[in-house]
Amino acid sequence: MTQHGLAVGGRGSWVPSWPLIGAKFLELRKRRVLMTVAVAFTVALPVLFYGVRLIYHLGDPARYAPAGAPDAFATAGTVMDEFGFIIATALGATAGTADLTDGMFRHLVITGRSRLALYLARIPAGLSILLSLAAAGFTVACLVTAFLGSPHAAGAVTVSPGDMVSSGLWLELDLVIGFTVGLGLGSLMGQRTVPVILLIVLEIIITPALADHPLPHFLNGERLVVGVAMDQLKPAALAGGTTIGPGGGPRVLHLPPMPTWAMITVIAGWIIGWSAIGAWKMATRDA
Amino acid sequence: MTTISEHDGSTHPRAAGPAPRRAGDWAVEAHGLTKRFGTRAAVDHVDLLVPRGSAFGYLGPNGAGKTTLIRVLLGLTRADSGTMALLGVPVPAQRARALARVGAIVDEPRFHGHLSGRENLRILAAARGGDAGTQIGPALDRTRLTQRADDKVSAYSMGMRQRLGLAACLLADPQLLILDEPMNGLDPAGMHEMRDMLRSLTDEGRTIVLSSHLLDEVERTCDQVAIVDHGKVIRQGPIGELTAGAGVAVEVQCSDPPAAARALGQPAIASRIALTRDGLTVTLTAGPGREQAANINRRLVGAGISVYGLRQTHARLEDWFLSVTSRFGGEQ
Repeated sequence: MTQHGLAVGGRGSWVPSWPLIGAKFLELRKRRVLMTVAVAFTVALPVLFYGVRLIYHLGDPARYAPAGAPDAFATAGTVMDEFGFIIATALGATAGTADLTDGMFRHLVITGRSRLALYLARIPAGLSILLSLAAAGFTVACLVTAFLGSPHAAGAVTVSPGDMVSSGLWLELDLVIGFTVGLGLGSLMGQRTVPVILLIVLEIIITPALADHPLPHFLNGERLVVGVAMDQLKPAALAGGTTIGPGGGPRVLHLPPMPTWAMITVIAGWIIGWSAIGAWKMATRDA
Repeated sequence: MTTISEHDGSTHPRAAGPAPRRAGDWAVEAHGLTKRFGTRAAVDHVDLLVPRGSAFGYLGPNGAGKTTLIRVLLGLTRADSGTMALLGVPVPAQRARALARVGAIVDEPRFHGHLSGRENLRILAAARGGDAGTQIGPALDRTRLTQRADDKVSAYSMGMRQRLGLAACLLADPQLLILDEPMNGLDPAGMHEMRDMLRSLTDEGRTIVLSSHLLDEVERTCDQVAIVDHGKVIRQGPIGELTAGAGVAVEVQCSDPPAAARALGQPAIASRIALTRDGLTVTLTAGPGREQAANINRRLVGAGISVYGLRQTHARLEDWFLSVTSRFGGEQ
């Protein structure tokens, strides 16, 4: 037994150390099924989508537009968003519950490490996996759009580099929301399945329903749903994909537009609020 | 030097050898510790003093509150009242500092099954910080897991997981190890190995608190014990002194053990009578053992039972434990 004293060595700090983040990264990265699904939803899906578009276009160029057409970019972005959100919630909920369900939480608490640091380490660890995969998939979409698009006729709609950047950032922001809410809800409930189901229902059923059906006396309530706020923030290059306005024009918002500050407040509120709830539960949970 | 027991204020012998006198000399120190679940007190005003460098057994029937007390001490759950310190450092006020040199296994040791043993230890070393990462190899060597360290934990046996739990404890280079049922799931060879490992750890000056229901193992491994029942510590002290106070036991070989048990029970001649394969063991209250043995012989012969042998032994920990815990008609 060595003679070193009872040094805290930063274990009491709420700031997660790099090794702690790396350890959580390792734990998530080694989940083979989850990682396979994540790669499938974020990278394989756009590759498959554009591959099919490319084959169709090569087979009958007159009937099928080039793979890199703007509408394809919007559709790919929307598909990546929906599926990316699902995998983000699954990854978040897994990060929030794996230690608990695997019985490691107790070992970690016994190390004396701050529980808040243990919670916060999950955020960069999970996001580094999620956002890098999503970026890879989105890069595919950008490359196809840039190099396999239609010849630019005068006045034709194109996807500019600026549109791509804003679309990419919007997509990543949506995944950050999915991950942090999944993490917080998973940590709160102590299990993975129900939070993932709840968030899928929110994303696929509740949010579109609220976004498309304004309730005159509940407009502000509808706007508190993060998906509604994100919908209003959606870049035009992505907005034309699935929701085309009357006569094939640009997408129409059914809800009156929200002020930018309100959108930011709602989005930040969801991220910070759910993170706080998850961290609180982590700090007070019996191990 | 004596310690006031919790339940009745009576005095009991405490530590063998030079007794600690300053607060920092205790590896574990708890006063008035209480933890309630609703109206039920799982830990009820417990006072516990574990001397540094000792192997301390923490015994109790199932549901007595052993694991709850350990969880409270380690900060896994909050106490409702009372004060405590580990290695002289108050908990939970300075929990991170107190746990810096504490290793613990609580309940069945479980890990990330999709990771290898080494990777699980890497995660725990990252949480510990400092030079814990350099302890992974030696800890695996010491627990004889090096050969299987890169296998997934999901393929480990219960015994291997217990050893991995101990390896996780060793990452802290612990001055204090708190082990909750570490023999669970081990085969006889594994138990022997674990016992040797625990002995070697105490030989290095580390303190071990061993919670177990395997009284035989505790008797072989520990030098001091505390008995907990219904959330209260009802006795604590060196095993030899405690069992000496419990009197003697007489092993009786006879023709009809059940009838012998009935004969000795009316009127009661012993604090406890247990049937064995070829006779019965009679635990006597403190007193002149030779005379008591003669009384037993007279009673049995008078009842028409043939007595083939009487052997006087010291009461074992198990006999004493059963006599003082409430579920077997003991004192509580």
